[in-house]
Amino acid sequence: MFKYIVKRLLLSVIILIGVSFIIYALVRMMPMNYIEIKYASQLSQGTITQKQINDFMDLYGLNDSVLVGYFNWLGGLLTGDLGNSFKYERPVATVIGDYMWISFAIAIIATLLQFLIAIPLGISSATHQYSVRDYTVTVLTMVGLSFPTYFFAAIVIRVFSVELGWLPSGGLVNPGVDYEMTFAGQMAKFGDMAYHLILPILVSVVLSVGGLMRYTRTNTLEVLNADYIRTARAKGLSERTVIYKHAFRNTLIPLATLLAGIIPGLFGGMMITEEVFAIDGIGRLAYRALREGDIPFVMGYNMFLAILTVIGTLFSDIMYAVVDPRVKLTK
Amino acid sequence: MKEKKASNYISIRESRKIIKYNIKMMRYYEKLKRRKLAESDYTVKMRDENNIVEIDGLKTCFFTDNGTVMSVNGVSFDIPKNKIIGVVGESGCGKSVTSLSIMQLVQAPQGQVVEGQIRFNSDAAGVSEDGKKLGYDIAKMPTKEMYKIRGKDITMIFQEPMTSLNPVFTIGYQLDEVTLLHDKSATKASAKAYSIELLKKVGISMPEHVYKSYPHELSGGMRQRVMIAMAISGHPKLIIADEPTTALDVTIQAQILELLRELQRSEGCSIMLITHDLGVIAEMADEVVVMYAGKVIEHGTAEEIFFNPKHPYTIGLQKSKPLLSSDANKPLYSIPGQVPNPINLPDACYFKNRCDKCMGKCRAKYPDTIELSDTHSVACYLYGGETSDSAETAEHGSSETQASENTENVQQG
Repeated sequence: MFKYIVKRLLLSVIILIGVSFIIYALVRMMPMNYIEIKYASQLSQGTITQKQINDFMDLYGLNDSVLVGYFNWLGGLLTGDLGNSFKYERPVATVIGDYMWISFAIAIIATLLQFLIAIPLGISSATHQYSVRDYTVTVLTMVGLSFPTYFFAAIVIRVFSVELGWLPSGGLVNPGVDYEMTFAGQMAKFGDMAYHLILPILVSVVLSVGGLMRYTRTNTLEVLNADYIRTARAKGLSERTVIYKHAFRNTLIPLATLLAGIIPGLFGGMMITEEVFAIDGIGRLAYRALREGDIPFVMGYNMFLAILTVIGTLFSDIMYAVVDPRVKLTK
Repeated sequence: MKEKKASNYISIRESRKIIKYNIKMMRYYEKLKRRKLAESDYTVKMRDENNIVEIDGLKTCFFTDNGTVMSVNGVSFDIPKNKIIGVVGESGCGKSVTSLSIMQLVQAPQGQVVEGQIRFNSDAAGVSEDGKKLGYDIAKMPTKEMYKIRGKDITMIFQEPMTSLNPVFTIGYQLDEVTLLHDKSATKASAKAYSIELLKKVGISMPEHVYKSYPHELSGGMRQRVMIAMAISGHPKLIIADEPTTALDVTIQAQILELLRELQRSEGCSIMLITHDLGVIAEMADEVVVMYAGKVIEHGTAEEIFFNPKHPYTIGLQKSKPLLSSDANKPLYSIPGQVPNPINLPDACYFKNRCDKCMGKCRAKYPDTIELSDTHSVACYLYGGETSDSAETAEHGSSETQASENTENVQQG
């Protein structure tokens, strides 16, 4: 097991290098140029010359070819330097480190809620196949699945913030309050943050619960028709035990594969949610950096997602071995 | 061909009608199952206290999109104490559904027991005022009460040992589970000791090792032994073995059958052995029930069925068994034609299209069961009513030519 993990980690280094090159090439092909966007108005007013802009581009490394640029970036990476963000004018690693925790918190709470809601719903809709409950759950989750993020977020803000006034429409803390640095003050700040996070988490859970629920439902239906479920019933076990012990463990096996994509997927989806709710998380920063052609930051963000994906895959393979005794991680 | 097509074709309107009817019936029977019943409502008198199970007029049907399939259509037979009852018949004749009905394991809501009684001679039911042994009617019994019987008094061994054990739990866990469930005084340690003892009993050589193994680490024969161990763990009164050797190779088959017979003797239980292998039946069974298209067509002791078969179907089955003495160059006999479509069967002998002794009245009404002796009964007009007439047909009924004619008919029709 240990050997397997070490081997997989070494392999993922090679994968990440490949991934980083592809991302770099794609990022350089983006039609945005940070310098041109930044100085466009000054150029049209004539306060800056094309020559100066060219010098700036040299300075920022935007005139290098893709290959040279990539190896410069990679060289920096090997010395532990992800470069300076153009837009935020700070080292990329520091910016990511500062802002990723809030996104992590949202992602992890949303994932947990998603599993806690989708799995029981999927199982109950499978055990009551073709019933009113099954159809209701299916229709509602499908509606959730089909909404675009920005649209659903806008509806939620309209209903809960504007009309009902129950919840704040954006931000992370109440801007009018200064929290003291005491324990009580920090607790109050934490409470305020949680209060602000209700809507964004609601949006990301509602939008992603449908897929997982459908997946659980299909799996459960398949498992419930298996011979060993009949055996379990023939033993005299109650229907509850049959479903939640004998069937559930087997339903989990394919769900473990899904784990790999869920966390990076949530981060990707968070980009829009964070932007709509004006939360300064890593997704919102990346979204802005992307719009202005901030190459080092976009690279850093994408590598962050790539690492999450690689770790997620490894984690799901390990989980696979945990839930299914037929899988052995030896090679 | 035309007729056949017409009978298989369902118009959209008919299809809608069927679905509507199915939903109505399924709701009705599901509701019936959920109603609250007192113990006295499903306590019935046993006809004979020496029977473990008495099946009486059992009808189990499946509400499918093509119409209602009567998988078990009025089956009656008894399973006496300490006997092995063989149930034979070809695929789809209702053998398995009969056994699943006894276990209340018919796939609901499509499959429902719609009529009849399955009287189970339970010790818990006691004795009636007039001294008759009481039993429970499984067809009516609430599922909750059934949990106590399943896996303890009536257990089941399935056909497919490769998939019958849960792949994610150890053998030990799955065996302990039964003990812990039915024996309230059992502790984890005692259950483990008992499970290892059971594994030893079914002839597994390294019980401690197997106890810790997962099903995928065992061979098919070993898994079937584990299933048998599970089946005997609660000292059952009846073991239903649903084609227990079909998926195993021949050498293992013999061992498993030998084991089953030994256990039947040592445990003093009955076995309902379902198979389509006449050889297995001949070797094991005390009594044989021959089923065809959801009905019992012949019932007798093993000697009667093998040395003196009466129903043309049973005779056909015997003839289609390969023998060492038979000529290897000659094709093996097979009963011509196919099992009739089980949807909307007409009230006539179901075997009539394949039978070489078919008469006019076979097409009129389904034959009654005729008692040939105390133990032997058959549902065929050859032995009922106008005996002289039918006996003649049986003797002179130049069967070869008629059979070939019938084959042609079936192929054309």
